[in-house]
Formats: sequence, C-alpha cells, structure tokens
Amino acid sequence: MSVMSYSPGGRAARWLYGIATGFALFSGFGQMPIFKRYYLADLPGMAWTANFFITSDIHYLAAALLLGLLAWRLALDARTTGAAWSWGPRSWWGWTLLGLLVISGAAKVLRNLGIYLPPPLIMVLDFTHLGSAMAFMFTGLVVLVKPKPKPNLRGLAG
Amino acid sequence: MAQAISRRNFLRGGLATAAGVAASGVVLPQAVRAAGGQELCTVLDLSKCIGCEACVDACRETWQATVPDPVNPMPKPFPSRVPTQDWSKRKDVSDRLTPYNFLYVEHLDFEHKGQALELHVPRRCMHCVNPPCANLCPFGAGRVEKNGIVNIDPDVCLGGAKCKQVCPWHIPQRQSGVGVYLDIMPSYAGNGVMFKCHRCLPLVKQGKQPQCVEVCPEHVQTIGLRPQMLAQAEALARQKAQADGAAPDRWRDYVYGIEENGGTNTVYVSPVPFAVVSAAVNQAHAQAAPGQGKGRAGAGKQGGKRRKAGFAGRPPMGPVNNTMESAENLTAALVLAPLAGLAAGFTRLFGKKQPPSDQPPQEQPPSEQGGQS
Ligand code: SF4
Ligand code: SF4
Ligand code: SF4
Repeated sequence: MSVMSYSPGGRAARWLYGIATGFALFSGFGQMPIFKRYYLADLPGMAWTANFFITSDIHYLAAALLLGLLAWRLALDARTTGAAWSWGPRSWWGWTLLGLLVISGAAKVLRNLGIYLPPPLIMVLDFTHLGSAMAFMFTGLVVLVKPKPKPNLRGLAG
Repeated sequence: MAQAISRRNFLRGGLATAAGVAASGVVLPQAVRAAGGQELCTVLDLSKCIGCEACVDACRETWQATVPDPVNPMPKPFPSRVPTQDWSKRKDVSDRLTPYNFLYVEHLDFEHKGQALELHVPRRCMHCVNPPCANLCPFGAGRVEKNGIVNIDPDVCLGGAKCKQVCPWHIPQRQSGVGVYLDIMPSYAGNGVMFKCHRCLPLVKQGKQPQCVEVCPEHVQTIGLRPQMLAQAEALARQKAQADGAAPDRWRDYVYGIEENGGTNTVYVSPVPFAVVSAAVNQAHAQAAPGQGKGRAGAGKQGGKRRKAGFAGRPPMGPVNNTMESAENLTAALVLAPLAGLAAGFTRLFGKKQPPSDQPPQEQPPSEQGGQS
C-alpha cells in the first residue's frame, strides 16, 4: 500500500495559486500595449483588458494573493514537516524565477509610490520582471504538459 | 539599417545649445544649481503672458533637430488597422503638441464677470511628481530624473503610446518610422518613439535654464526648487484671488498643477479661476474645426473613440485625479497579504492534515502527519 502525504489547504490552495499566477501573468502581459493591437480587447466583454489602470490593479491584487499564499507555505513549512505541496514551483529554477519576480516587482511597487530609483536600475528591473515572467510561464507550461511524476513523499520535490 | 536615435545626437544638440546659453551668461539661480537631487518646479504667471510664442520658437529651434526623420518607406504595421503617425512633413505645426513641437500656446478669449478677457496659456508636459507615463512604461523608457524631470529615452522607447494613454493630458506624441523598434520586429511590435518636453534636460544638467524660461520677454515662468516654487505660487494665487474679488482662502481656485494628478512640477497661476480657464480651453478646442488650420489634422485616438481634431495634441485644463492613487492604495494589500500568510502559516491555520477527498483517511500513517497538533 502506498504511503500518503498531505497537501495543506487541499484543492482550494491549489486553485488559489492557479488563479493568482494566471491573473498575474495575464495582467502582467497586459502592461504591454498588445491586447488592443491584437484584438483581444475587441472580444465581447474583454474591453477592460485595454485599460492599463484596470490590468495594473488586477496585477497588484493577484500579486498580493500570490505573496500571501507563498508566505503561508513558507511559514507552514517552518512549523510542519511532511507537507507535500501540490502547487508551486518544484525546482530551484522555479523558485529562482519566483524570487526574481518578487524582488523586481517589489522595487517597481516602490517606484510607483513615487520613490526615486535610478532610471538605469528601473530598466534592469523592468526587463528582469518581464524576462522572469516569460521564463516562469514557459516553465509552467512545460510542467503542465509533461507526464506527472509519481507522488513524492519527501514534500518539496527536486 | 534603422535610423537610430542616438543619445549622443540628442545630447549633442543639447550641448551645442548649452554652449550658446552659457555664452549668453544666463544660468539658473543659485538655489537651482544647488538642487542636489531636489525636484525642480516651474511657476507660470499667466497674467504676464502676451502670447508672443517666443518660448515656442526657442523650444523648436533648440530641440526639433534632435527628433529624427523616419525611414522611407515606413514599415507597415500588423494588423493593418494599427495607425502610424508621421509628423515629419508637418514640422511647421506649432499650434498643438507634435513629436517635433514640445510646446504650444493656447490663445483664449472669454468672458469673466461681464468682462471680455484674453489669456495665453503655454502648454507642455506638466512633469508630474509621480508620473504614470514613466511608472507604467513596461520597458523603462519613461524616466524620472532625480531633479524631477520626466523624460522619455528615445533609444529605448518602442512607441506603443501607453504613456500617452495613461497621461491624463495625453502629452507624449508619436513619430512612427524612427527608433529601436525598426531593428526588432517593426511590423509586429512597436510603432516609433514618443516625444515630449524633457524640460531641456541636457541644459538643466549643466545648471542652465530651460530655453522657454530663458527667452520669455515677460518672465512668465520661474524655475526653482519645489518647496520654494509652491510657496511662490500660493503667494501669487492669493493676490490673484483678492484682485478677482474672491476670499483669500479660495486661492487654490487660481492655481493649476499643485493637486492635479497627485501633484505636478508645473504650476500655473491665473487671474481668473481655473474652472473658467478650463471652460474656455474646452470651448476653444471644440471650435477648432477638424482638418482646418495648421496642425488641426491628425486627430488622435483616445479611449477607443476618435477624438475631435481640435482636442488632439491639445491638453485640457480641468480637474485631474491622481492616476497613481489606486496603485498607491493597493500597495497596502501587497504588504498585508504576506504578513497575513505568515501569521496563518505560523499558527498552522488551514495547515492541519486533511485526508485527501479521493483517499480513505486510514491510508495516512501517523509518521506522515507532519507534526500536526
Ligand atoms: S503630464 Fe503626462 S507626460 Fe508629462 S509627466 Fe505627467 S503623465 Fe507624464
Ligand atoms: S522646457 Fe525645454 S523642452 Fe520643455 S517646452 Fe521648454 S524649451 Fe521645450
Ligand atoms: S510664455 Fe513668454 S515667450 Fe511664451 S508666449 Fe508667453 S510671453 Fe511669450
């Protein structure tokens, strides 16, 4: 008989993570002026995707949800052993990308508050954020289409 | 090979001008030279402006040559509905903002308290304190300098015009067929470069005055450190309010730019309330018949509707809420969410072992319960 581990929060946590990353990626790409140009905003009910202030607000909310989930996971891992998370990055690569996204995103948030950051640094941050988001999305897509590994009992799998 | 906008050319234009200005012996006041990173702000006393447009001419003479001509033929954007904008054959247009014209003067005739009045309003970028055009630029082309000047890096801008869309005054203007997008995927991404007033950044970096400030025969504009300029604007506005028969505490009705869009580094002071000025501006724009007069062609597109030609390239002057307010407020969510997550995690909220719905609970051995309490 197989030995089972457990995933805290169950399906709800997995769904929340999916929603947060999905909306963060979608609204993030919507920060480039492409949704209007490439007709997405012309689809019924999608006009809002061309409004940069709406997509920016969605990006903030999705990022907040993601940060909340990740903080919860880290704190729970510090208190508990044996959790086999069914969501989130499974490799150092995924965690590195997520880390870069959080750091560059946090700096961009400070800039949006009107705090001065040197313009060359902002450009580095912008491209880091964009590049890691694209890498994160492609990694996620690869993981989604790849055959699922057998349940790993040691929690955070390689 | 794309006709790149070289920063060196841009700066060279500035340096050449700077040399001219230096020769004229005009330099910024001591306070500005000693700015040390503090924001610069201008105050415009509109009752002094005679509408001579010397400022417009000086700006054009100094900076127009730094804006390159487009490649010929210009790449056709995909999809074909994406409009290109080419002002290179209409560089003479000076009665609205264009990529080759960073400043124009709005000439207003209106009535106030039964009197016919004339007012001239120089218009350009407001240099917002927390500018959405720069903040929301996805590529870091929109820049805020330490001295508060907001400019667009022509070597980085792809001309997607997001800055124009998020600017409450729709200030930046696009020239298609120029810039770095030509070297990437010219038909599929980007559409030129956005241009606007950069407050004569190359000159200011050397402690010189912006050209439009310097050449004005009536000394309409003063430039200095923001706190001093705000104090000057308030004192001036109190005088205007009193002269207009308003209570002194109504002085804010006579300034424009202190609160608009969360605060800008361009403050207009008018002899009449700005509600009156705004109405006159709107009326002037509405009367500008499409396709007539120089610069009246080339209507821009805003919010999915084609704007009337008289409004295109001519900013309004009504109240403007802080466009960055929502982002500023949502920052609290970004701080609170991880704190709440940490608190929930450390108190093991939602972290108790739940038997998976598709597995019988007895399959979970005690050793895998992960120290659940
Ligand atoms: S007026 Fe418009 S272009 Fe100028 S700084 Fe403000 S948002 Fe940017
Ligand atoms: S500050 Fe310089 S760039 Fe801006 S309008 Fe005046 S002269 Fe032109
Ligand atoms: S600001 Fe000065 S230079 Fe410009 S139009 Fe008015 S008076 Fe003339």
